[in-house]
Amino acid sequence: MDLKKIIVDASEDQIEDFRSKNQRRIETFILDLWEKYQQNPDPVEIDQAQVIDLADDGDDRQCGEYQPNDPGNPDELGNPDEINVNETEMQKQGASERPQYDAIDLQIKSRHIALPNGKVNQNYDIHFDIEKIIPEISGIKFEGLDQAGLQFVPETKKITGMPRAAGDYKIKMYCRRHDWEEGKPTIEREITLIINPDPRSLWVDLPTPENIEYYKPDCNREFIKVEASETVAAKDMVAASKRGRSHAHEGKPRDDDFMLHFDDGSGWYVMAVADGAGSARYSREGSRIACRTAVDTCITEITNRRETFEKQIRTFSNVRSEENRKQAGDTLYHIIGTAAFKSHKDIEKEAVDKGNPVKDYATTLILSICKKFDFGWFVGAFWVGDGGIGIYIKEPPFLKVLGEADGGEFAGQTRFLTMTEIVQPMELYRRLRFDIVDDFTALILMTDGVTDPKFETDANLNRIEKWHDFWSNLSQEVDFSDDNENSAEQLLKWLDFWSPGNHDDRTIAILF
Amino acid sequence: MRRLPVYLVLDTSGSMTGEPIEAVKNGVQVLVSSLRQDPYALETAFLSVITFNSAANQIVPLTELSMFQMPDIQASGTTSLGDALSLLSRKMDTEVTKTTAEQKGDWKPLVFIMTDGEPTDDWKKGLTEFQKRKFGMVVACAAGQGANTGILKQITEVVVQLDTADSATIKAFFKWVSASVSTGSQKIEASGKEVSGLNELPPPPPEVNIVV
Repeated sequence: MDLKKIIVDASEDQIEDFRSKNQRRIETFILDLWEKYQQNPDPVEIDQAQVIDLADDGDDRQCGEYQPNDPGNPDELGNPDEINVNETEMQKQGASERPQYDAIDLQIKSRHIALPNGKVNQNYDIHFDIEKIIPEISGIKFEGLDQAGLQFVPETKKITGMPRAAGDYKIKMYCRRHDWEEGKPTIEREITLIINPDPRSLWVDLPTPENIEYYKPDCNREFIKVEASETVAAKDMVAASKRGRSHAHEGKPRDDDFMLHFDDGSGWYVMAVADGAGSARYSREGSRIACRTAVDTCITEITNRRETFEKQIRTFSNVRSEENRKQAGDTLYHIIGTAAFKSHKDIEKEAVDKGNPVKDYATTLILSICKKFDFGWFVGAFWVGDGGIGIYIKEPPFLKVLGEADGGEFAGQTRFLTMTEIVQPMELYRRLRFDIVDDFTALILMTDGVTDPKFETDANLNRIEKWHDFWSNLSQEVDFSDDNENSAEQLLKWLDFWSPGNHDDRTIAILF
Repeated sequence: MRRLPVYLVLDTSGSMTGEPIEAVKNGVQVLVSSLRQDPYALETAFLSVITFNSAANQIVPLTELSMFQMPDIQASGTTSLGDALSLLSRKMDTEVTKTTAEQKGDWKPLVFIMTDGEPTDDWKKGLTEFQKRKFGMVVACAAGQGANTGILKQITEVVVQLDTADSATIKAFFKWVSASVSTGSQKIEASGKEVSGLNELPPPPPEVNIVV
C-alpha cells in the first residue's frame, strides 16, 4: 500500500488505524523524509512534513529542528528510499500497544525539536514559535524550564532566563489542538535542554605544595621606580609572572620566572624573563637560575666594560657605519653573550650537583640591557626560545622586534638555553640584537604564555597593528603613568586574562 | 583559537540495528556529557559525527562541544567504509583550519572509526584519499567478531576490537574514547603537541582489546 496515498487521501479513521499499527515505522519514514529534505530541499516532494523555520529576533541563536548544517552534496546522498511500503511487513514489525494519538500529536512527536544549548550565568533568550510551524496547535506550556532557571513567555513566545546550574534538563512541552475541549488529551513532548558549565568554573586552583624541591610561589610581581635626575631617565620597570591555569588545575608549580635590576651608579637597566619547559621536571629552577645569573653577569660585565662600551655606543650613534656597529656589537657580545653562557653553565652545574640530566632544567631566556644617553636609548637583547621582545612606540608608530622566535610551525622545535649548541659563540652572536632609538613607549619582554594568546603567530609578532591592540588592551588595566607603584599589582591582575585553550604560565616585563 | 577536531566515524549499517545502535547513541551521549565536565576539552575539542551505511553522511558538522546536540542515528543499509573515508577526507579539507603565517591552524584531528562488518564498497579508493591527509591519532574499532581487522589495520596502526557489540562493551569503548579526547586536549595544552601513539592514550578497559 502506498503510504503517501494513505496519508493524503484516506479518511481519518483509516489513518488512525494504519498509524496505530505502524507507529514506529511511520516515525522513521517521516524522519527519513525530513533528513532528505534537509540535505537537498528542492528535489524531494514532501506533503506532510513542513519545514521548521523558527524565526529568531535578530539573535543568532535559533531553535527548531536539529539541522544537519551541512548543505550536503547531491553525490553524498544515498539512493532515495522506496516510498511504497509493504503493509503486511509493516504490520509484522510495527504492531504497537501505544494509545491512539492525534495526527498532530504524531507530527510533534516525530519531529526533532531541539532547544539551543545554554551556558551557566549567560543570558538565555530564544524565540520559540512552534505554532507558526504547526498552526493547528496552541496553548504551549512547559514543565521543567524553571529548574534550569528559564521561563516561557507565551505573549512574546520567548524562552528567557539566566541558567544557574549545568546539566541535561528534561523539559516537557505541552500543547493542544485548536479544537481542544475538556476531556480531550493534551499533547506532550519531551525535549532535552543542555546547560553547559562555565569553563572558568571547571578550573580549580590548587596551591603548589611548599615542600616540593625548588618550590616557587605561584605568582610574583615587581615594580622598580627610577627617580628622574639630570643624568638618569625616569623610565620605570614593572614585571609580573603568574602560574597558568593548567598548572593550577593540577597543583603544579609555575615554571616561568623573571628578574629586574636597575644599576643606580651606571644608569643601566637589566631585565630577564624565562620560561621553563613544560615537559622538564625542574624547569622552574632552570628559569630561576637563568634569570638570576644572566642579570647578575650583565651587571658585572657592564661595570667592567662600561667606559669602552658606552664610547662605542656613542660612536655608533654618531656614525652608523658597519664598522662602528660591529665594535659595539662585539662588546655587547662580551656582556650579554657571557651572561647567557654563564646562565647555561650555572644550570648545568646545578644539574650535575643534584645528579639530574641537564634537560630536566630546560628553559628559554630573553634578556635585555638598556640605557638612556643624551642622544637616545640604547637597547640590547638576547633571545633563545619562544616568547617575544620588542621596542614599541605608539606614536609615531614604530616597532622593532629584537630577534626571532624559535619554534612555531615553521621554525621547528623550540630551542632552550640548556642546549649545548645554543651557547656556541656563533650561535650566541646570531641571537644578539641592538638598536638606538630616540625614545619609546615600552620595551616589552614576554613568555609564550602571553605571546601565544595575544599574537598567536611569529608573523603577527612583527605586525605593529597587533602591538597597537596589545598595548591598548594592556593600558586599559595597567596605568603606565610615571612612578605608578600599583602597576605591578595591575599587571599581575591583567595576566589573568581569559583566552580559551591558552592556560600556560604567563610572564611579562615592561620598561616604560 | 586552535581547535582540537574530533571525528567520530560510525557504522550504521543494518547489522547494527537494535542493541548496538542504541548503545552507540548512548555512547555518544555519555562521551559528550563527560567531556563537558573537562575544562581542557570544553575549550578546545570540536566534535563531528559521520555515519556510514549505504552511503556516508556527516550528520553533525564539526561543532563546538558546548553547542553539540545529539543527532538522530538509525541503522539500515550496507557498509560503505570507503565512502566514509572519502567524506572524512573532504571534511578535513573544508573544516579544519590550516596553519598560515598569520594564524595558527587547528590541531591535527583525532579520528575514531567504529564498524561491525566488512566494507561493501570500494574502500581502497577512500583509503587513498584518507592517506593523502595528515590526521592525528586514528583509532579504528572492530565492534564484534564480524569486522575485518585486516582492513582496519591498513587504515591505521591503532586497531582495537570489542569481543561483542553489546551495550556494556560499546559503552566501555566510548568511555575510553572520552578519556582519550580528554588526554589529547590536555596534552596540547601542556606540551603543545598532539597525542601520537596508543601509549599516550589512557589504557583501554578490559572489554577493548588491542589488535596487534
